[in-house]
Amino acid sequence: MSHLVLTGLAKRYGRSVAVDGLDLSLAKGESVALLGPSGCGKTTTLRMVAGLIAPDAGSVSVGGADLTQAPAHKRDMGYVFQSYALFPHLDVAANVAFGLDERGVARSEKAARVREALSLVRLEGLEARRPRELSGGQQQRVALARALILRPQVLLLDESLSNLDARLRESMRHEIRDIQRRLDITTLFVTHDQTEALTMCDRIAVMNCGRIEQIGTAREIYDSPATRFVAGFVGRSNELALSRDSGGRPVLDGAPLRLARDPGGAIDLHIRPQHLRLGPAGAPASDAFNRLAGKVAHSVFVGDRSEVLIDTKAGRIVAELPPGDTAPPDGADIVLSWTPDAGHVFVRESV
Amino acid sequence: MMKIARRPLLAGLLAAPALRGANAQSRVEGAITLVAYAGIFQDNYTKTVVEPFLQRFPGVRVNYVPGGTSAQMLGTVRAQAADPQVDVVLMDVTTSHIANLEGLFAEISPAEAPSLAELYPEARAVGMNKFGPAVTFDNLVIVYDKQNLKPEISKLADLWRPDLKGLIALSAPPNIQGLALTAMVEKMEGGSHTQSIDKAIAKLKTLAPSVQTFEPNPDGYSLILNGVVRVATGWNARAQLYSDETNGRLGVLLPPEGSVFQINTINVVKGSKNRAAAVAFANYALSQEAQKAFTERMFYAPTNAAAAPKIDPKAIARTAVSPENRARMIPVDWVEIVKVRDMWNNRWRREIVAAAGR
Amino acid sequence: MKSGTRLVLLTVPGVILLAAIYVWPMYGLGRMSFNETGPTGAMIPALSSKTWRELFADPFIFELTWNSIQLSVVSSTAALIFAYPLALFLFRTQSRWRGVIAALAIAPMLVNGVVRIFGWLAILGDRGLVNAALQGIGLTSQPVRLVYNWTGVTIGLTESLMPYMILALVAGFGRLDRSLEEAAASLGAPPWRRFLRVTLPLSLPAVALGWLLCFVLAMSAYITPKLLGGGRVFVLATEIYELSITSVNWPLASALALYTLVLLLLFLAAYSAMSRRQA
Repeated sequence: MSHLVLTGLAKRYGRSVAVDGLDLSLAKGESVALLGPSGCGKTTTLRMVAGLIAPDAGSVSVGGADLTQAPAHKRDMGYVFQSYALFPHLDVAANVAFGLDERGVARSEKAARVREALSLVRLEGLEARRPRELSGGQQQRVALARALILRPQVLLLDESLSNLDARLRESMRHEIRDIQRRLDITTLFVTHDQTEALTMCDRIAVMNCGRIEQIGTAREIYDSPATRFVAGFVGRSNELALSRDSGGRPVLDGAPLRLARDPGGAIDLHIRPQHLRLGPAGAPASDAFNRLAGKVAHSVFVGDRSEVLIDTKAGRIVAELPPGDTAPPDGADIVLSWTPDAGHVFVRESV
Repeated sequence: MMKIARRPLLAGLLAAPALRGANAQSRVEGAITLVAYAGIFQDNYTKTVVEPFLQRFPGVRVNYVPGGTSAQMLGTVRAQAADPQVDVVLMDVTTSHIANLEGLFAEISPAEAPSLAELYPEARAVGMNKFGPAVTFDNLVIVYDKQNLKPEISKLADLWRPDLKGLIALSAPPNIQGLALTAMVEKMEGGSHTQSIDKAIAKLKTLAPSVQTFEPNPDGYSLILNGVVRVATGWNARAQLYSDETNGRLGVLLPPEGSVFQINTINVVKGSKNRAAAVAFANYALSQEAQKAFTERMFYAPTNAAAAPKIDPKAIARTAVSPENRARMIPVDWVEIVKVRDMWNNRWRREIVAAAGR
Repeated sequence: MKSGTRLVLLTVPGVILLAAIYVWPMYGLGRMSFNETGPTGAMIPALSSKTWRELFADPFIFELTWNSIQLSVVSSTAALIFAYPLALFLFRTQSRWRGVIAALAIAPMLVNGVVRIFGWLAILGDRGLVNAALQGIGLTSQPVRLVYNWTGVTIGLTESLMPYMILALVAGFGRLDRSLEEAAASLGAPPWRRFLRVTLPLSLPAVALGWLLCFVLAMSAYITPKLLGGGRVFVLATEIYELSITSVNWPLASALALYTLVLLLLFLAAYSAMSRRQA
């Protein structure tokens, strides 16, 4: 049962299209990330959902009620800003209670709910502090408590973790995910950080140029990117330009390739670094694998495994070794191999 | 032929006595700075006095600097007391008297400036018979919109006419027009300002509600010509000039109830770097020739008694020294007025202006 | 050289400049106020308190003080009320006309004060635009007196203060973050509540600063009261002008100027005490 439904949302600024006919629906309690590079229209989408900007076309509905024309203050949505947007002239308690005041909640109930909201985000005892006296993480939690205290139908998070340092971000991710699940609140989360999207959300909508390129679970997106953009943006991948021989079969560096699928025409092969295997040059060939010769440029050790940069006739390629494997020495001649189903084939876009 | 030739000769003879002392004209040279009024005064004074002076004294250069109000000129002279940059100053008697008392101006004698001997006694008296004497006499007049005011203004008491309500501009004290008006109204009411101004205050209080402004800017003549007010007070010389320039649109009335002299003095600054040229200029400004020329041009009454009979009677008739007007003048000792100025000023503010409403 | 010493040296030109344009004239003003003025208006060099005693012996000084404060409070407040929406608009607008609008808003500063006042005379005078309109629609038959009185001075002064108020407000609106109002909206606050609970409180420092700036400017304004007051509006600044330029009573003018300065310093002290308590 869909709870938050966006239909054909569109917004343009002058000649540039920010959001181009976007459809998305979230189930009650579901958490969906809008993932994309900056300028892809994800924040514009979120702001249209919140009612902070008016769409040029399309509609927003929650629980079946069309809210497209409703002003922001009547939408019953919690919004957590990238900058937190805490009221600098109010203390923590007053910030958190701001929405309750607008709803005319009685004083005794208000105090109880502020306490409850602050304990939800583990900020008890900081009621009297001013925002500028709080750390970034604490401010983030005040912003969250301020939005959640109203028990909104929908929670909207705009790059809410991007201003935190790496360690704090890690713990806040889980904390927010945990609260979101506990409150069973429908959440739309804007981010350009794929790790955030992968860890915090049930589904991910990858956006590019004002459109959703693909929507699905983290695994679906990662394993079967629907478009070349998704393959490139989510996870890393090596792009290999293929050509065709006289028989029309795809070849790479002169050698024929076996592909899981061949849509025909000019195509590129995208292959993830961890799907590549390294073997010494001259190792026996097998029909089960595609092969590409190269020379090790250098390798780096990234904590639990090694990454190897290899120069080939098809360009520089990154391969990731399984944990425990030792990287070959720089300058070594090697052969890369992969199974036909490891890569993803996309039709080359005409330029 | 003879008749034609006689005129310049006469003019030369006429000028001769006054310029006697300047027989060493060739020795008088260098630059002097004259500070006097700006605008129309500067234009006319340059043409009728400064330029002819320069012809007689080719070695002298006169730098005419407009000095604003007399008080501002006094300020300039005060500020330069230690190192004067100004040589001759033409200003109102109330301020030149202060400068004389403060020792800012030099004494000049008839020996070095023979024109002094030809002046009316009262012209020299304002300079305590030793400092700079009066160089022009002017007097307070009522100016009015001759085109739009029917019947015209014919006496001071007409200001109280009900049809003038809201159409009057007066200059309140400390402006000297306001001081002069006070003395005139006191006289009109049968009193004398030397005794008390109670009657004037009481009478002016009843005029106050009809007054549009107590501080006409830039001046009363302009407000009338722009149609803002119908009646104002003014000085005769400028009023006559404006009247001519506007083909009589501006009416000028020396009230039959009496008027008061305004006196400008000419002064040589003490410590002048070119005293000889400064005295020569003052002497020329007071000479019959200059006085005649300036009166005929701008209707300031002459202070040189010998010049008066030689001035075009039509010009004289429009000044306060015509026999008819002279009889109406109220004797006012400006030095005494300055002493009571603050008191008059306060009474105006608290009794007259206050009665006009905020 | 220690960096502290170097810093002190860097302040030397500024200190010399301040001394030259501020301290020395102040000393001159102070010294002048201890001279005396004789009965005929001549200044008598002296070192006496006669002028100061004269200043406070005349209750008119208190009337002047009250007039000045009243005029300044009213015109600064009016300027604030008119300037605030304009400043907020200027601060917020994304319009490409923003530069033009901003220039228009502060354009009056570029026009000579006297010229502006003659403009007001043309608008507010008995035969000005406003009276023509009022009589045209039959509201009055007699012209309504809008100049040469307190009304005219208040209008003229308010207008002349507005550019300063707008600049002070726009500069002080720095704390106003659009997202704060959006946050308030998302929390259920309608527009006017957002203004009351967020925009207004956050702009109070700018309001206080702009108001104080205008108050000080209004207290020292003399051209407007002089030209639009019609001789009916007596304030400290016009009296100082009158005393120094018309009456040539420099000692008394100096004493009154210093009195006004002390008055303004008191207001500034009160302001900084208040703003310190706020912070």
